[in-house]
Amino acid sequence: MQRRKFLSLSAAAAAVASVLPASLSATDFRATAPKAWEAPTSQEAIEALFGSAETIDGQIEIKAPKLAENGGAVPIGIKSKVDLATVALFQDANPRSAVVVMELPEGSVVDLMTKIKMRKTANVTVVAKGRDGKLYSAVQKVEVSIGGCGG
Amino acid sequence: MKIKAKEKKGVVEVKMLLDSPMIGKEESETRKAEVEFITHITAKINGKLVWEASTGPFLSKNPYFMFTTTQGKKGDEIVIETVDNKGETNSDKDKIK
Repeated sequence: MQRRKFLSLSAAAAAVASVLPASLSATDFRATAPKAWEAPTSQEAIEALFGSAETIDGQIEIKAPKLAENGGAVPIGIKSKVDLATVALFQDANPRSAVVVMELPEGSVVDLMTKIKMRKTANVTVVAKGRDGKLYSAVQKVEVSIGGCGG
Repeated sequence: MKIKAKEKKGVVEVKMLLDSPMIGKEESETRKAEVEFITHITAKINGKLVWEASTGPFLSKNPYFMFTTTQGKKGDEIVIETVDNKGETNSDKDKIK
């Protein structure tokens, strides 16, 4: 009986494993740091994700418009000369702060760009963990004239 | 999904335009639509992971991403895979130009 139970359990486990996509072998920050995705402010989200909010300024460059006409797609560029492993983007314009956490394996160039939604004028914060283990950050205020969160 | 990958002097620039309405909790209430957003994206060149992102619903509709890497050259195959909040996957590939 014991053995039969064990066999059926492992068969079920194998079935589950085969269903999961291969991409889950990589780090999914939604699974490892669920609190960070629920945090309403950048400060709380950064602490939940990185365990600290003590960061070094001036090493990351945010390329974002000072005035965004369309809050539905605000382009945010991130550049740095530091060898970064994890780059996270936060904003204070929406109900929850975290937008995206990117992971860069060795051999990456820190020259990234994405587009985000902002329903009002707010600060955009980038916090990144270097391969040296240090935390780096940059903040830029983006003014939004038309909100873009379904509003 | 649209992918454009170009190599220049050993640096590959990858641009992608994904398909998702990116509707979060609040938006689903105001727009009377189901919550649907991409939660994870991976990019591989010749099977090697070169970039990945865990994402939330505050990316723009049909999210756009650009990243750069030195791990590729002209003719290599790049594969991008996405997973959404319902577990549905989508993937597309392109050759680096």
